[in-house]
Amino acid sequence: MANTDEKLQKIAKDLLEGGEVSLVIGYTKGSIPQRMRPVFITKAQDASRLSFSCYAVQDLAVFLKKPEVKKFGKIGIVVKGCDEKAINALIQEYQLLRDDIKIIGMECNGIIRQNLADKGEAAVSETTVYDKCLICNEHTPVLYDYLVPSENQKLNLSGNIKPYAKIEELDSMSAEDKSAFWKKEFDKCLKCYACRQACPLCYCSRCIVEKNMPQWIDTNIEETGNAQWNLIRAYHLSGRCIGCGECERACPVNIPLMLINEKMARDTYSLFGNKSGLDINAKPVFGVFSESDFNEFIK
Amino acid sequence: MEDKKEDKKRDKEEGSVKSDGSAGDPRIIAFVCNWCTYSGADLAGTSRMKYSDNVRVIKLPCSGRIDPLFIVEAFKKGAKGVLISGCHPGDCHYISGNYHSRRKYAAFRDLLGFLGVDLSRVEFSWISASEGNKWVSVINEFTAKIKSLKSSSSDIFKK
Repeated sequence: MANTDEKLQKIAKDLLEGGEVSLVIGYTKGSIPQRMRPVFITKAQDASRLSFSCYAVQDLAVFLKKPEVKKFGKIGIVVKGCDEKAINALIQEYQLLRDDIKIIGMECNGIIRQNLADKGEAAVSETTVYDKCLICNEHTPVLYDYLVPSENQKLNLSGNIKPYAKIEELDSMSAEDKSAFWKKEFDKCLKCYACRQACPLCYCSRCIVEKNMPQWIDTNIEETGNAQWNLIRAYHLSGRCIGCGECERACPVNIPLMLINEKMARDTYSLFGNKSGLDINAKPVFGVFSESDFNEFIK
Repeated sequence: MEDKKEDKKRDKEEGSVKSDGSAGDPRIIAFVCNWCTYSGADLAGTSRMKYSDNVRVIKLPCSGRIDPLFIVEAFKKGAKGVLISGCHPGDCHYISGNYHSRRKYAAFRDLLGFLGVDLSRVEFSWISASEGNKWVSVINEFTAKIKSLKSSSSDIFKK
């Protein structure tokens, strides 16, 4: 692990010293060993604070949408494979220039669930990592300028654990049962919009919930508006969500948002063959069309 | 815009009286495009064809203009069914608006279904300006389908 950190620090130091970037966004050790926290490095001598481990759960790409960060111009960023897909999607949607960013890709073999890590869990295995790690095909980021290899064991998948198993369960339910399930979940929603703030791809400077002429989404905390908000949030991300899981992690009332996101990712893949964030030259899935698109549902 | 507001207001008033679960006289909102389906509906009208009066038509420039939020809004205001209709593929007045809307609705429909909305409450169709007959049959069939739904039919958008 120490070796990984050294390599990472060296890359960041060189980038800052050479003036190639004016800011490096990365992880540093938190107040307890099981917690990592984001750090913003602007001076080469501070690069030694950078670190990476199987507890580095945050998706740092979320900071790239912030004006405070954008003003630094050229930025270096430490990313895992999943987070890197968010950068690709941002480039795809012209929110970011490839030349303005230096990607320090970290090979990652799974991130330990935060609730388990807080209890002292230290082993990366299929029972301790997030569901997103079990379906991950990008343990090595798809696009990077520098790659820091991992010294950890590859994640061993026995196939006994089914990630996002609840999706199939819900799919087989009747409309009434599904409705009842989601009613219960959305009932908890506080409309704090943490899911939006934590999402690297929710970058609209004025979100639809903040528009009140007309007011499309009720802002008070009641069933109707809650369902509307969660539906529209998921719709705006369908075909775009890269599955980093930050919305779900940020949710203070534990609404299983990743079930919806993952379901939509699967559906847009089966309908249009699109997977988000794998190619910076691809067009966003709803920005293009095909004459042979799925037509069966239309009379 | 004003028309739309008026329509919505009226629907809300009527909807709260009639379609509050009894489903005896359900309200159906049809979002249609200006160039094909609206003209088709117009043709049905000028030809004196009869069709179910449960439907309220809201005209928009193009099916590509019909935001999924409109569907949600209609449900929230008490509509039992929502119909989206535009030009046939290849016939769009704006060349590709209906292709874009088809793609977006294929996904949005899945999302609605996953969240527990009965998908028989949302209908999509392509109706051209010359298909007054098709408009009549689509509306009548859809109304019959909506009327046959259980009155307790699930709805996460409405209390």
